Amino acid sequence: MSHIRNYKENQTKIIIGLLAFFFFVFSLFKIGIIDERILQAFSRAEHLVKGMFPPTLDEPIDIFGAAIQSLQVAVMGTFWGVIFSIALAVFAAKNLSPHISISYLVKGFAAFVRAVPALIWAILFIIAVGLGPTPGILALAVNSIGMLLKVYAEAIEEIDHGVIDAMRATGASKFQVIMQGIIPSIMTIFISWSVFRFDINLRYAAVLGVVGAGGIGWELVRASRVMAYDQVLGVTLVIFGMILAAEMITRYLQKRTDLVNVRASQ
Amino acid sequence: MGMQAEKLEPLKVEAEKTNLLSELKRRKKALLFNKVMIWSLLAFLVVWSWIGTNFSLSFLYTGITNITVFIFTNLLPPDFSAIPRYINPALQTLYMSYVGMVISVVLSLFFGVMAAKNTSFHPALAFASRSVITFIRAVPAIIIGMIFVVALGLGPLAGTLALGIGGVGILGKAFADILEEIDKGQVEAIRATGASWFQIMGQGVWPQFKTGFVAWSLYKMDLNIREAAVLGIIGAGGIGYTLQGNINLFQYKQASVGILMIFALILIVEFTTAKIREKIL
Repeated sequence: MSHIRNYKENQTKIIIGLLAFFFFVFSLFKIGIIDERILQAFSRAEHLVKGMFPPTLDEPIDIFGAAIQSLQVAVMGTFWGVIFSIALAVFAAKNLSPHISISYLVKGFAAFVRAVPALIWAILFIIAVGLGPTPGILALAVNSIGMLLKVYAEAIEEIDHGVIDAMRATGASKFQVIMQGIIPSIMTIFISWSVFRFDINLRYAAVLGVVGAGGIGWELVRASRVMAYDQVLGVTLVIFGMILAAEMITRYLQKRTDLVNVRASQ
Repeated sequence: MGMQAEKLEPLKVEAEKTNLLSELKRRKKALLFNKVMIWSLLAFLVVWSWIGTNFSLSFLYTGITNITVFIFTNLLPPDFSAIPRYINPALQTLYMSYVGMVISVVLSLFFGVMAAKNTSFHPALAFASRSVITFIRAVPAIIIGMIFVVALGLGPLAGTLALGIGGVGILGKAFADILEEIDKGQVEAIRATGASWFQIMGQGVWPQFKTGFVAWSLYKMDLNIREAAVLGIIGAGGIGYTLQGNINLFQYKQASVGILMIFALILIVEFTTAKIREKIL
């Protein structure tokens, strides 16, 4: 019996593999990747690379200012995303929600918001509130809600019920239950996901300018429109440095906190 | 003697108690200091950004009301007669993300194996590969897309290559990390039989690597479909291009069909990858 099942499993694997391969070849033809452009690509890429070096920054102060604006947009987007997600997560988690239907409603909203990419939210917010950093902040906040709401609600649902029951038994109000019982047990998950979301938001903030929402992305678009490849590379390097620096700082703070916690609990 | 002992003991406990208490206080202080430092840093960041972006609470209110009004009056109801125009770009997005995934899996296998310290040929090579992966990871795919649009012209080719190369940032790191965590014993046992590098990789490393490899590759497909949907905004082909065109022409009711199509595409791809993951693993 077992080797018949094994044989069948192998067969499905082979079928999946073959389908995957044929779909790959079919997609290659559909995209037109086998094209004379791929032959020209080398000479064009050579031209591009020659134009890129050495990377320069036209008006460096402007570009660093734009980078700082991107960083600020990411911070504000994450901040509002976290605040709204926490507020909504209380209604989305099944064990806290006033009614099960509200929980499904809020979760459905999160799923929809998550499925629309951040850049499309940015385009919609630009139409709704105009250009500048505000649509970027709102787009990042809305997109963050889609992800954070889900993970926060799941974290709350996984809380030990005993803790909440024990608090209820002492006659604690709903607010007291949330402040004393729920928040301490989900804090770690909340913080690690919020930091992770900040990393994502910073990447988005760097490219929001592509659709006109301010920040360093706009500098990149401007440089590529006038075909100043050396500036394109220069701005790309600034974005690279910004994201890397932010990642290193958050990692350092996390490590430090872990270290302090370990030292305190020894 | 007995009396002395009785006298001394409580004193000792007392001394230990104060020691413990001061130790506890010291530890609590260290924790508190760290907490205060991080929270004040966060507060400073938020205030700094709040001022820097000229944000005001009223923007939240106007933003939310405006977007709601915009969604309900301009976007809804969707003009479903636009569906035929979106079918081809949607399929193109699918092809782009699939080919992009295959390219990034192939590249990541190379860079991942080279970057993992235990499978790499030389530590310097491992460091170089790690650096390449880190660099690509820190540059968003849409920026790589812009560079490819400049190099190769408009169209799905640029987007596909951007997805393929951008994916190395995530997949390469994931593969390298998985490879570094495999059980050394199995590899050593095979090496001891005199197996070649390829035999070690096939018999010792691959069986341990397979699960992570499949899971991450499929996850990359999920990510690609989201990224491919917006790559069109910069002219790199796919559904985003049509969507951007509709929005530029103020055809919001048709644009909402595009957004719904992206939504459907993401759901379909995530459902399919989940099924495949179930079947393979």
